Amino acid sequence: MNPRFLRRLLAERSGAVGVAIVLAVALLALLAPLLAPHSYDATDLLNAWAPPDAVNPLGTDKLGRDIASRLIYGARVSLAVSLSVLAITMLVGVTAGLIAGYLGGRVDAVVMRIVDIVLAFPEVVLAILVAAVLGPGILTVIVALSLVWWPGIARLTRSLVLAQKQELYIDAAIACGTRAPAILRRHILPNIAGALLVRASVGVGFIIMAEATLSFLGLGVQEPVPSWGGMIRDGLPELRSDPILAVSGSVVIGVTIIGFNLLGDGLRDALDPRLRRR
Amino acid sequence: MRRFLLGRIAGLVPVIIVAIVVTFAAVRALPGDPVSVMLSDHSADLDMAARLRAEYGLDRPLTVQFVQYLGEIVTGRFGLSFRYVHMPVAQVLRDSLAISPLLALSALSVALVIGSLAGVQAAIHRNRPQDTAIILALVAGLSIPNFAVATFLVYLLSVKLNALPVAGWGTFRQAVLPVLVLAIPASAYVARLARTFMLEVLQQDFVRTARAKGLREGLVIWRHAFRNTVPPLATSAGVMLGGLLSNTVVVETIFNIPGLGRLAVDSVFARDYPVAMAVVLLFVLFYAGISLLVDLVLALADPRIREGLEVTA
Repeated sequence: MNPRFLRRLLAERSGAVGVAIVLAVALLALLAPLLAPHSYDATDLLNAWAPPDAVNPLGTDKLGRDIASRLIYGARVSLAVSLSVLAITMLVGVTAGLIAGYLGGRVDAVVMRIVDIVLAFPEVVLAILVAAVLGPGILTVIVALSLVWWPGIARLTRSLVLAQKQELYIDAAIACGTRAPAILRRHILPNIAGALLVRASVGVGFIIMAEATLSFLGLGVQEPVPSWGGMIRDGLPELRSDPILAVSGSVVIGVTIIGFNLLGDGLRDALDPRLRRR
Repeated sequence: MRRFLLGRIAGLVPVIIVAIVVTFAAVRALPGDPVSVMLSDHSADLDMAARLRAEYGLDRPLTVQFVQYLGEIVTGRFGLSFRYVHMPVAQVLRDSLAISPLLALSALSVALVIGSLAGVQAAIHRNRPQDTAIILALVAGLSIPNFAVATFLVYLLSVKLNALPVAGWGTFRQAVLPVLVLAIPASAYVARLARTFMLEVLQQDFVRTARAKGLREGLVIWRHAFRNTVPPLATSAGVMLGGLLSNTVVVETIFNIPGLGRLAVDSVFARDYPVAMAVVLLFVLFYAGISLLVDLVLALADPRIREGLEVTA
């Protein structure tokens, strides 16, 4: 990565905080087996709802599982789901947007019509629909969120392509006899990659939130695999007697999403100082 | 104007057709036989199975079933529920129907007031500590998922302070927390918009004129400047209402409120697909209705919009 760009990202305090939080969550996810004091699904019914002590730093849940370990493994689930959704939606959305924007005409009309129709479905509603057909689970979350997210990316890509198409260098490439796929890949894509990167980093925060929401509703990640949304769901009825589960899950997920949002804002400012809002 | 309106309605038709086809296909594509679930203990009773199959229209060809489904939607009955055998879906939905829109509208009103106040304060004190504090609150309000916010609020207000009931529905005190939880991200959104619009308006000449003629600062801010941010804020309110409506699914689950959203999620778990799909369809129709209303209000307020759309459409 360009060192000047990195310096600009870290110079702004919020950008640096975002980078720190995202790195920390990524490390938790990658090193979960090393960092977690216990296994995420080791139950100990005699030790259910134990208060924090030296063995279980945040206590245990209703099955006596270590809350801290489940939070750490939850980072892994959350990031894995979000990054899969991100990869799918970027692939589909960018491809659709590139083709629609560059070819225009009837292809463009058809793609944009589909985009409009999908966007007319609220995301939770679409997830309920997918969950009804596929049954609750990780696959449901990935399918539902991918369905919801690609149209926005397609729309953004299309508008970026339309702007690039006006540029002289595209005319030059066409005059040289470059074929459309090569123009898209070699000329247009590198020029819009920055804007897409910003969109992707802001998107991760929202996808994590959506994943947690679906798991909270019980439509997403299923037991015994830990998910932050599911942990809050389990903890909410016990808020009066054992608040640690729900509250720690809420803190972790709030901090993570704030981190990704700060990183996204920081990237936006660092890539294009003119876009600075303040 | 009539052409504009007809054009917008025509634009919604494909959305509604897709929603109807998808909800129909989803129920039919599901694995398992709903009739055998309904029979449960009487699974050997072939006579009863045949009667139920006929009552639910499941013995007909798919095309006939689809036409029947269309008829059920038009008459507002939405077919029969799988979980409550013989009961029309409309009857299952009846008690829940008004709750989600009521929650969403209350949250919207709260959000517009709180958000405008916060946004205007931030704009007046631009780049000073008040502004920074409000912006930090906005980032938190938009970033933290509503069920996490609900956890904090329930823990603080209901468990620690014992000020409000933990869950339930029916009294004003039970409605405070759900509406608040829904309104927090919406307020943050309104505040961000209000701040941006206010910063723009405060640069205008008429604001300087108002100050120059010696008006009190409060009058300048609220009567002259803020008034000009109302139209764009009002249009964003329509968009937000859609988002609030789908967030009610989560809030209803948290606070045990018998609204449409919780009914849909419960129905998925109970494999009562006709009810779940009816809610999906209703939400899509609500959405379509809201966007139509927003376009209509915009077009009434601004002739350029209806002209512009007529030219491009």
